[in-house]
Amino acid sequence: MSGRIAIPSAALLRPSIQQRVGRVVLILVALMFIAGFLVLPVAAVLTQALSEGWKMYRDSIRQEDVLSALRLTGLVACIAVPLNMLFGIAASWAITRFEFHGKSFLITLIDIPLAVSPVVAGLMYVEVFGLHGWLGPWLSERNLHVIFAVPGIVLATVFVTFPFVARELIPFMQAQGSDEEVAAVVLGANGWSVFWRVTLPNIKWALLYGTILAASRSIGEFGAVSVVSGHIRGKTTTLPLEVEMLYNEYSFTAAFAAASLLTLAAIVTIVLKKVIEVISGVDPHKEEREVKS
Amino acid sequence: MSIQVEHICKQYGSFTALADVSLTIGSGELMALLGPSGSGKTTLLRIIAGLESPDDGSILLHGEETTQHSASKRGIGFVFQHYALFRHLTISENVAFGLRVQSRQIRPSRRGIRERVQELLHLVQLDSLAKMYPEQLSGGQRQRVALARALAVRPKVLLLDEPFSALDAKVRKELRDWLRRIHDDLHVTTVLVTHDQEEALEVADRVAILNQGRLEQIGTPQSIYDNPASPFVYNFLGNVNLFHGRLLADFSPEGRGDGRQEPIESAVGFVRPHELEISRDLPPDARAVVACVVRIHSAGPQVRLELSIVGNGKPVSAELGRRQFEELALVPGDSIFVWPQSIRLFDDDGARALLLDQGAGI
Repeated sequence: MSGRIAIPSAALLRPSIQQRVGRVVLILVALMFIAGFLVLPVAAVLTQALSEGWKMYRDSIRQEDVLSALRLTGLVACIAVPLNMLFGIAASWAITRFEFHGKSFLITLIDIPLAVSPVVAGLMYVEVFGLHGWLGPWLSERNLHVIFAVPGIVLATVFVTFPFVARELIPFMQAQGSDEEVAAVVLGANGWSVFWRVTLPNIKWALLYGTILAASRSIGEFGAVSVVSGHIRGKTTTLPLEVEMLYNEYSFTAAFAAASLLTLAAIVTIVLKKVIEVISGVDPHKEEREVKS
Repeated sequence: MSIQVEHICKQYGSFTALADVSLTIGSGELMALLGPSGSGKTTLLRIIAGLESPDDGSILLHGEETTQHSASKRGIGFVFQHYALFRHLTISENVAFGLRVQSRQIRPSRRGIRERVQELLHLVQLDSLAKMYPEQLSGGQRQRVALARALAVRPKVLLLDEPFSALDAKVRKELRDWLRRIHDDLHVTTVLVTHDQEEALEVADRVAILNQGRLEQIGTPQSIYDNPASPFVYNFLGNVNLFHGRLLADFSPEGRGDGRQEPIESAVGFVRPHELEISRDLPPDARAVVACVVRIHSAGPQVRLELSIVGNGKPVSAELGRRQFEELALVPGDSIFVWPQSIRLFDDDGARALLLDQGAGI
């Protein structure tokens, strides 16, 4: 390119004063929005939690009820998340590697928990497993308790976190294609070694990413769990429910102390997500880069 | 290890991918499956590999029926168009993969695997890249790794699915020659799928031409090029001039001028550009037409002329040697005489071929 053409085109690339002002204004608006709606509330939670001093904060968290809610939340996440990993891998494998009738219907089904209000999800479980529900009498004859007990909480959590892993994996696996798996099969690998040696190493970051999203949702889930839990202190109360109960009892400091734990979990999630993006060099939402040329 | 393809049919919905294809590939032979996209060549290769199952027909490897065997049990090496290397494994781990997944009874020792990998990387001349990852390699290097990986398990049959089509022209040519040398060393029965007629004619011992799921012609590159069995093959293998017309003289399949009236009414004549003779003077013994030189492409070993027949304006392309071109001293706009050395006629169904030698008229 000759110098004569290069000079005006370079001048065009340099933004005019109006453009620069516009850019600064937009950035400021965005920052103010984030400050007002995200940073400020998080800061408020932490200040409220610590408003009566560090010792009070520690004591609030150490209450037996809060600790038991924390344990239950952990237990539910430890059951729901692995289940959803298994389900997510199975569903995305089936959807991206095989052709079958009703495939698009299955994809729609996976999205239902995202579309349905969690309260409705909870009510569905009450209708099915509750004492007057379809399976209730059968279950109570056998002394099995689902609703107002831990199994119901696990079920509700599995339901709402159902889509997270699958929705991360499906577009990722679609973009990667099945060439490598076919190559492994031709080289003599059986299904099991294709999965462990080829599929899993290729999807591990997207899988971890989806798992973290599912975990953070299962820790924070309120609506569905609230319906099926029964709010029995120390038994069927998860951390979000405990926060609400404390708040309704005007124990503001304790409520905010418990809430700060949830906030902390959220921050850890965000950091982990970022770390995965950096380590893997893959932003799971930009699979296109991964597509072979 | 020979491959017998017997009456293979494959249908995708209403699309017929393969319609009753049968062919035999001899042990140690390099066979090219050549055809345009949609001709069924890749489907046939994948059926031989066991990656697709045929609706009908059977595949015999070394005389043994294998149609029901899964791909992982057929003992084949497969090279993919887009390499399909394992992106999370190094080059040497890629090559070792087929050996590592073997069952314990037949799997070589760790040392055995290491030696075999080294041997193969040496064969494909990539010893120095053993520790690299696929994404760090060029396309040509990746395809060589893919070949090494396929050969590691000592396959009885090597199948290549358009292996060079994603590469640029120069690398493609180098790899083609290199593949031929490797084949000459190893003598593995090889099937190469390609849409590139030059590649097929240059590399293969025999070429099978597929069109719309049917086998059009099979033979050595020379015989196919010299005696195309159908207008399709003629068109597909290089440039050709078409002349539509009616037969004026009493030709017959046995020869010409025996007095019998040939029943073909209208016919299509095929003449390759290099089979056209060109002169500034009217030749004494030939029925020539007058054509006008439209354009001259003189870059390359052969000079290509775009001509236009005076009278009907039909475009014709001709090729001549550099020396003859210089003798004729042609420039665009010149009028010249053109006549074919030979012309091959097909009737409208493309069924019957008739070769006319010297002296044929257009």
